[in-house]
Amino acid sequence: MLRRFSVGNAPGHFGPARAWWWGVLPLGFLLLMVVAPLARLAVEALPDLQWAGISAMWQDDYLRWRVWWTVLQATLTCVAALALGLPLAWVLARFEFPGRVLALRLLMLPFVVPTLVAAIGVLALWGPRGMLSAWWGLDLQGTPWLLLYGNLFFNLCLVVRAGVEALEQVSAARVAAARSLGATPWRAFWRVQWPAILPWLVSATCLVFLYCFSGFGLALILGGQRYATVEVEIYTLVAHELRLAPAGALALGMALLTGAVAVLYAFVERRLATPGRADGVARRRPTGAWQWCAVVAGLASLFLLCGAPLLAIVVRAATAGEQVWAVLLDDETLPAVWNTLRFSALAVLLATLLGVAHAFAARRSVWLRAAAFLPFVVSPVTVAFGLLLLYPRWSASLPLLIGAYALLAYPFVANALGAALDHQPAHLAQVARTLGATPRRVFWRVTVPLVLPALRRGMAFAAATALGEFAVTLFLSRPEWATLTTLIYQRLGRPGGANRDAALVLAALLMLLALLAFVLIEQAPRRARVLAPVRGATNVPA
Amino acid sequence: MMFVRTLCFLAGALLAFASHANELRVLAHSSFSLPKPLIAQFEAQSGVKLSVIKAGDAGEMLNKLILTRAQPIADVVYGIDNSLIAKALAANVLDPYAGPAMQRPALVPLAPGVVAVDYGYVALNYDRAWFAKSGLALPKNLQELALPAYRNLVVVQNPATSSPGFAFLLSTIAGLGEEAAFDWWARMRTNGVKVTKGWTEAYYTEFTRNGGARPIVVSYASSPAAEVFYSKEKITESPTANLFLPGSVFRQVEGVALVKGGQQREAAGRFIEFLRSAPVQEGLQTTMWMFAAEPGTTRPEVMRHAAEPSAFYNPPADSIASKGPDWVNRWTSVVLK
Repeated sequence: MLRRFSVGNAPGHFGPARAWWWGVLPLGFLLLMVVAPLARLAVEALPDLQWAGISAMWQDDYLRWRVWWTVLQATLTCVAALALGLPLAWVLARFEFPGRVLALRLLMLPFVVPTLVAAIGVLALWGPRGMLSAWWGLDLQGTPWLLLYGNLFFNLCLVVRAGVEALEQVSAARVAAARSLGATPWRAFWRVQWPAILPWLVSATCLVFLYCFSGFGLALILGGQRYATVEVEIYTLVAHELRLAPAGALALGMALLTGAVAVLYAFVERRLATPGRADGVARRRPTGAWQWCAVVAGLASLFLLCGAPLLAIVVRAATAGEQVWAVLLDDETLPAVWNTLRFSALAVLLATLLGVAHAFAARRSVWLRAAAFLPFVVSPVTVAFGLLLLYPRWSASLPLLIGAYALLAYPFVANALGAALDHQPAHLAQVARTLGATPRRVFWRVTVPLVLPALRRGMAFAAATALGEFAVTLFLSRPEWATLTTLIYQRLGRPGGANRDAALVLAALLMLLALLAFVLIEQAPRRARVLAPVRGATNVPA
Repeated sequence: MMFVRTLCFLAGALLAFASHANELRVLAHSSFSLPKPLIAQFEAQSGVKLSVIKAGDAGEMLNKLILTRAQPIADVVYGIDNSLIAKALAANVLDPYAGPAMQRPALVPLAPGVVAVDYGYVALNYDRAWFAKSGLALPKNLQELALPAYRNLVVVQNPATSSPGFAFLLSTIAGLGEEAAFDWWARMRTNGVKVTKGWTEAYYTEFTRNGGARPIVVSYASSPAAEVFYSKEKITESPTANLFLPGSVFRQVEGVALVKGGQQREAAGRFIEFLRSAPVQEGLQTTMWMFAAEPGTTRPEVMRHAAEPSAFYNPPADSIASKGPDWVNRWTSVVLK
């Protein structure tokens, strides 16, 4: 009900009347980069279209198992990520301890590491001759556990980061009110905090689901062909068999399924959207054995799930020896670092532009919200082939490359910002308007500072996606555009111990660069502190 | 918003890219690699800028070529091999080349109008240390490999997604006969053969040399030499070796051809001649790990570790083209479904 009266909830003159204007840019982009290529491919596939063949495909037991398994593993990962991620987010959002900010940033690293390198890291620990599996006498090879571990490794950060941000938006006054009215801490959690963080968790869970569902990565390598996902079927049909009609049918089926998830998410988020309050619960130092135990247990599980495989990579890179480290000064490496940096920078820039526009446009529309998931929903290989057909002249050009990077990165910005816009405290803008601020001034002095942390989080994820993105090589690429990720895969495309170790050294370098990028993006601006007479605004994540 | 401002500045600074009017577009698979000085030398001598476009795995590359035939994305294509050549010819995406390189005999012929550049063998590799330690004797034929003694020891690539995987499947069919081959694959399935999507996953996550659990992997006959070349310490013997069994070796011949509808014909011809020139033929052996197609090319010392097999098992090219997709489907239902 509050929403109806809250002029400040809409960002001033960027209100609903002009909202559609914002949509032109991202929708145009989606049209050019996704819809048109797919339509072009559909035209190509049309002559071969036989309904009998396609309906037979859906009756294939093997394919049904694939779909079923894909849904199951994605669901399991979501459940596990929520069960583990929420307590972790709680620890990181409510307690102040040394290394907290660093832990939040390190949490992004799994996103950057090329999947193959991550698999090598995981196997170094849990593989048949891995350190931990030898220690505990486990053999996880060939079990779904390794696969779920892989999924968690990549996706836990999504849930934890969203959870931390959500918990920081919970109103301290409301929690305090509930407590003083006699609610137990549990009851206060379920009745006050849980409803406030639910939209964020739903959003993150949907992302995790979509990632695992259309996933092409670590789980596949660790799970082997038995646990391969439908995306692999599509890839095979398109890239290796050029059977566009069945691939199109399969891709369409998948897109409808995942699209339903996206629409559901958008609907739930819109329903749950309530303006938040700017009086965040203050973090405090853990007191007492229990609280310290919670912090230590949280960090330990985080380390075991996400940190250890990365550490294994770093350790192996560090012990590789001088001869291998020479790769860092290789005449291929420096251009690759430069390419990685400039492509990522351009991609983040474009992704931010698109994401911001999309978030503002989608404030009132469930469909526009769902459209932000389009890049996750469609099959990347299918889009790549469509782009090739549609723009043959541009196929090996830089704008298309950057566009592809941005396409995969911008939904993070749009989603993070969208959630933050929903939760802006209404009264701050109202107060500012009452005190005579123009809508423009309200927008720049109130709305922007309030949503900036979310924007930064979205940008950090976008940067992580761009830095580690390998799907782009599905397009045509040029050797002089080699990025660190392509160099790593090139090394791992040849036999020999030196190649493997060089790949690990390059991966360590990539992680270091990514960490620097996150620090740069998420660095707390000094201005935010000046602007924070309201208690709690200082709790905005750094 | 300081950061965004910095980015804006960067964007302006970075987007300056020169375009080359006089450029030869070369389509290649992702393993294409030549010594850089040679490429620079070619560009200087021919006066064109080489624009190499990598399009993924060889099969994927050909599909991209077929898909864009109305408006070709390249002028010349390198990397079409004998398992794909019939498909490429049938799709009519190549123009025949008749220059000197075509007239000269190659060690391994490919097809009329397509110049063979290099050749190699897809074969089983094994981890020598693993077999020495376990005391298990090496199998003498493919049938033995399907016995319980060799349970869970082999990793292969999915022929639907990997060219060495496809080549290995072809060699089993040529070596054992179609029915016997699929019967063998069915027994391999019960014997725990592991299937990966591509070569890299097989070699770097499943092979015992690299932290996996399987001491036998489908790779190339040249891989043991590459292991020596890329070893961290100086070694005189390769840690891996070839396991040439009847029906497990496929000879792969890669070639270069003109793209139908491509431009820059003269430069394209020069590039084809360049690939068959002595320096390139010598150099490609340790950059792409294939043998030279030009007779009389010096073989680098390290290739001594890459023994050439005495026999190989290739089905006829036209039956690869006509039956290949069915074989892959049948393999999928026998091994994976």
